[in-house]
Amino acid sequence: IIKLNSKQCRIYRVRINDLEAAFIYNDPTLEVCHNESKQRNLNYFSNAYAAAVSAVDPDAGNGELCIKVPSELWKHVDELKVLKIHINFSLDQPKGGLHFVVPSVEGSMAERGAHVFSCGYQNSTRFWFPCVDSYSELCTWKLEFTVDAAMVAVSNGDLVETVYTHDMRKKTFHYMLTIPTAASNISLAIGPFEILVDPYMHEVTHFCLPQLLPLLKHTTSYLHEVFEFYEEILTCRYPYSCFKTVFIDEAYVEVAAYASMSIFSTNLLHSAMIIDETPLTRRCLAQSLAQQFFGCFISRMSWSDEWVLKGISGYIYGLWMKKTFGVNEYRHWIKEELDKIVAYELKTGGVLLHPMFGGGKEKDNPASHLHFSIKHPHTLSWEYYTMFQCKAHLVMRLIENRISMEFMLQVFNKLLSLASTASSQKFQSHMWSQMLVSTSGFLKSISNVSGKDIQPLIKQWVDQSGVVKFYGSFAFNRKRNVLELEIKQDYTSPGTQKYVGPLKVTVQELDGSFNHTLQIEENSLKHDIPCHSKSRRNKKKKIPLMNGEEVDMDLSAMDADSPLLWIRIDPDMSVLRKVEFEQADFMWQYQLRYERDVVAQQESILALEKFPTPASRLALTDILEQEQCFYRVRMSACFCLAKIANSMVSTWTGPPAMKSLFTRMFCCKTCPNIVKTNNFMSFQSYFLQKTMPVAMALLRDVHNLCPKEVLTFILDLIKYNDNRKNKFSDNYYRAEMIDALANSVTPAVSVNNEVRTLDNLNPDVRLILEEITRFLNMEKLLPSYRHTITVSCLRAIRVLQKNGHVPSDPALFKSYAEYGHFVDIRIAALEAVVDYTKVDRSYEELQWLLNMIQNDPVPYVRHKILNMLTKNPPFTKNMESPLCNEALVDQLWKLMNSGTSHDWRLRCGAVDLYFTLFGLSRPSCLPLPELGLVLNLKEKKAVLNPTIIPEAIAGNQEAAINPSSHAQLVGFQNPEASCNMSAHQQGVKRKADTPLGSPLEPGQILEKNEDSSKVKLKIREEIDMDTVHDSQAFISHHLNMLERPSTPGKEQSPLEMSMHPVATAPLSVFTKESASSKHSDHHHHHHHEHKKKKKKHKHKHKHKHKHDSKEKDKEPFTFSSPASGRSIRSPSLSD
Amino acid sequence: MADTAATAGAGGSGTRSGSKQSTNPADNYHLARRRTLQVVVSSLLTEAGFESAEKASVETLTEMLQSYISEIGRSAKSYCEHTARTQPTLSDIVVTLVEMGFNVDTLPAYAKRSQRMVITAPPVTNQPVTPKALTAGQNRPHPPHIPSHFPEFPDPHTYIKTPTYREPVSDYQVLREKAASQRRDVERALTRFMAKTGETQSLFKDDVSTFPLIAARPFTIPYLTALLPSELEMQQMEETDSSEQDEQTDTENLPLHISTPVVMSGGEMDVSWSRRSCRAEMRI
Repeated sequence: IIKLNSKQCRIYRVRINDLEAAFIYNDPTLEVCHNESKQRNLNYFSNAYAAAVSAVDPDAGNGELCIKVPSELWKHVDELKVLKIHINFSLDQPKGGLHFVVPSVEGSMAERGAHVFSCGYQNSTRFWFPCVDSYSELCTWKLEFTVDAAMVAVSNGDLVETVYTHDMRKKTFHYMLTIPTAASNISLAIGPFEILVDPYMHEVTHFCLPQLLPLLKHTTSYLHEVFEFYEEILTCRYPYSCFKTVFIDEAYVEVAAYASMSIFSTNLLHSAMIIDETPLTRRCLAQSLAQQFFGCFISRMSWSDEWVLKGISGYIYGLWMKKTFGVNEYRHWIKEELDKIVAYELKTGGVLLHPMFGGGKEKDNPASHLHFSIKHPHTLSWEYYTMFQCKAHLVMRLIENRISMEFMLQVFNKLLSLASTASSQKFQSHMWSQMLVSTSGFLKSISNVSGKDIQPLIKQWVDQSGVVKFYGSFAFNRKRNVLELEIKQDYTSPGTQKYVGPLKVTVQELDGSFNHTLQIEENSLKHDIPCHSKSRRNKKKKIPLMNGEEVDMDLSAMDADSPLLWIRIDPDMSVLRKVEFEQADFMWQYQLRYERDVVAQQESILALEKFPTPASRLALTDILEQEQCFYRVRMSACFCLAKIANSMVSTWTGPPAMKSLFTRMFCCKTCPNIVKTNNFMSFQSYFLQKTMPVAMALLRDVHNLCPKEVLTFILDLIKYNDNRKNKFSDNYYRAEMIDALANSVTPAVSVNNEVRTLDNLNPDVRLILEEITRFLNMEKLLPSYRHTITVSCLRAIRVLQKNGHVPSDPALFKSYAEYGHFVDIRIAALEAVVDYTKVDRSYEELQWLLNMIQNDPVPYVRHKILNMLTKNPPFTKNMESPLCNEALVDQLWKLMNSGTSHDWRLRCGAVDLYFTLFGLSRPSCLPLPELGLVLNLKEKKAVLNPTIIPEAIAGNQEAAINPSSHAQLVGFQNPEASCNMSAHQQGVKRKADTPLGSPLEPGQILEKNEDSSKVKLKIREEIDMDTVHDSQAFISHHLNMLERPSTPGKEQSPLEMSMHPVATAPLSVFTKESASSKHSDHHHHHHHEHKKKKKKHKHKHKHKHKHDSKEKDKEPFTFSSPASGRSIRSPSLSD
Repeated sequence: MADTAATAGAGGSGTRSGSKQSTNPADNYHLARRRTLQVVVSSLLTEAGFESAEKASVETLTEMLQSYISEIGRSAKSYCEHTARTQPTLSDIVVTLVEMGFNVDTLPAYAKRSQRMVITAPPVTNQPVTPKALTAGQNRPHPPHIPSHFPEFPDPHTYIKTPTYREPVSDYQVLREKAASQRRDVERALTRFMAKTGETQSLFKDDVSTFPLIAARPFTIPYLTALLPSELEMQQMEETDSSEQDEQTDTENLPLHISTPVVMSGGEMDVSWSRRSCRAEMRI
């Protein structure tokens, strides 16, 4: 038996070495829990889902498609000869994996800018062609795509040639990828692309949609520098012979890296006038390029090694950031990432980088605190995965701290050079395992290269989840001239762990800055640190700082008895930690003013929020004015200053905070109320200029209203804004001005709940509303880049609604959320609707959102809605809410159970939402759970059922080949005889069991068949892969299946079929299509093309599998015993 | 008979002009001229012995006559201008006729033919009033060395330089203020107009006019409008590019090179602003 991954594809026939082979198609992830009616327990679902995913996990040797090797070929298998598998299949209206963008305008597909691209979360290649969808199964590829002559197909590897078909209407693109690559790293994009050969590097080609070429030119003009940087630090050439970037619309993720090609969102493109997007886009480019080395070229051995790849690519990307944007930006980024991961782990309880599943029982499941399984990438919450990547690169940085960057780069170089040697070894696939990285292999090369033992570090951060939480405080002992530092840890709350080991503390004294390394041990809380300086206030001596600089300080604020200026714990962020440190306000102020590290400045700004004093105010203002200070620090100082001003409101003197500062910096000398005409040449001041008004708008007077003066000020800024002499666009600036207006809004004083009308509108609000109206309307006439202004206006309107100035009404947002608006606008509008749903508890809107989750054409938007609902849920599990009812539970359950089987990310998003709304156990709004128990029992029984009774009803059709072949629900089918039946994956199981034989809908037979036959592209595979799959895994999988409560199967009644409109839908669509419009024709073309390609791919895969199959086949008997008559095995038994 | 045709023609044009009551004097003049020509044609036809003529043929003949006469006039004017005169003389006409292949010698005989009909001069209808060009001040008489047939001097304001003693408004604040409110007014008027003429959305259920929002329309290709810079921006960019040649990626502060000379920038402002607003309007 050979197992392949395949989803959505309709498979017509499988041939192995030209012999027809029987196959079964069973995808347990289509519907995770079968008719367990009222259970609705998330715990149960997650287990079932994890089981379903492992049942098809290619790393464990499983797959949705089981092909039986004909007995004639067993000899081949025994002789370890190559088997060639040939699969005819088609893919019709795929719901995931491939995304079609077809604008509904006049014109041919090419004129309309229609395009298609592959997408997905982790290994999702199985959605568009049958393959071993694993990162660890490498082979070389030959890809052929036949597309409309106006289209360009972009795929992995080198474009060998482009051939017109006989009628000259189509072109076939031949791609050849000689570097062994996993199927999961194969991608495709087809569209009427404009093509740009990189002027600096001719092996790099960029593709974008029509009309965007100028933007593409500008956007990619920087890429070669990234290339140079990586090649230099890795001392290794870019491994592939070419690189392609494709910018497409409706992207699944902003950046997706595949072998020798990256797919980006078209929204990353920008012109030279745009400031804000430029660094973001460059970061995306650099990120994708880092993943080309680690992720695409070097692939992972198994899921638990993912962290190494994410870590290395994230780490070298960080190095690039440091070089490009400077150390400040880099440290700031590290701090940001650290804060993020710390916050996430403390909230949800731990991110585990290297999950080990050593046959453990449920109870020592490392992720028991989570509502999903971390055994598989496909069961992972998207947010968790994001955090996982973030932690991975931080840990990589910790390793660097330990072994030095030089060694680190040597290790990377070693990995790369081994891999590239291996990749050039044609026909020696056993060598190719060098191209896979595993945790142990990585650690081994670290110890080889550096000779250092980093095991403790790995154990702490990689094998264990959680972060460290320190609480620090100190006292100065004057007699002994000693600093008594007390450091406590919290390692009991979720998401924390205990830290034992060295910890660096930096003490800034009068005589200089001193580093101390403390040893954190089990029970020692107190640490004595001798001070170097006397507390005497020396006669005006300069004070040396950490970086060697000597500065004059006004020391009057400090404690006369102590020489301590400030203390920092773990200044280098060499522990994944959160530090809460107590020191006096003046110490924070000194730290802010004189410590040169941006992280320290940031920390002190945060701390100063708690000390609303004139001294803090002064320190912050000084920082704001200081040109040399890092702009992000100055930006956060703005917000801190606003908070402090609000706390000091009763004693505040002078004009509102920052006003005079802003006037001085950005307004005309002669008329201080008028802002200078824009000139954004200095980016630092641009960012500051953008931010200050936003922060100022947060000021409140004694009545908790935004001071009139501030509002007028902002309105004037808007009024006098003049961008004519500026070479940059001011769209982000104007958008922030609207944000500022929104920030100034305070809750309306409502007199006995009157209805909001125009007449009782607050005059200030009227002014604000006028601006918003004008901006929003102007956007229609002169749209801004990425519609930033519309986005801000929508947010501002929601703020006005929420504060009761304007009647709360989602209609406006709903119209902006429709498909056809720019995605940023849609997201902003949806966010408002989500918020409305929560505040007004509107069932109708919730339904509207859910409907959109199911039907929106853009996967990203669907994902995002779920995400926003999870972040801002209409209710949570402990809350009474009229929205929480049985129908909703059912609806969501259905969504995650079967409605989202075409998109892993979406399904996990639905699980997250379900968790947020109802928690892990049975939703409280359901009738009490006695019933559930009963069901449980039933379920157990049910589980047994299928095993015992292997569907007696087997398909009559199949009888021809293999009478006994019916596994649970699945029928082996003779492809020729009954190819209709096998066609639809979704339908398959059911069909087999159902009264059968009844071919599916009539429309089904389709052109595709012909197509496929035409398409016979011979792929020769140059590889024979050794199977990585071991039989053990195979067995255990079967065992798993036994345990799995939800084995698909049981009683498939005809009813079920009708219950799954999803499954059948594509078919009907198809029928319609052929009948109808031209549009559909185009679709067909695409489809066809794809199909063809796929076929080719398949062939290749097949080769690999042959080997696998051999091994497996030998085992049949072994299996059968443990599996005790498991249906799947039955074919082999019979044989 | 000719009369009938003529009156019919006249009647026809009469009703026509009636229907176009609103037309201006110039049109009336043309109609009157045409009517006269029709009378002429009709009488010539009568003279030639026709008893009646179809309206269409009368029209055609009128048209031909008119073009012929116009052509004579046009060429005569050319000839006279050729000889640097402003008034055509008899010889100009003669040359013209000769040039057009007309035998001038036959003309006196024809003019004196016995059976010719005499047509009364058309009533002098209101002359087309050439709208008087805006005059300001007295036109200067020709100095003695310029022959009097030369055209008059244009209005003095078109060439005379008047030194002003009042400073142009160069106060920066006022200019900025003006520019800002001008733009704001244009934008508001424009958006209001768009809102009035198109579909709108409103934030208040009871009032749709105070804050009209132009209704959101989905685009078929949303990313194009979102990403491509507008023409306006492109144009601006060219302008700024030519004026400043700084490197775009320069992150360093260029120390306050923002504070451009106040007055100067004020001066340009009005000009370029009006261009911008025109553009904005044209786009619609």
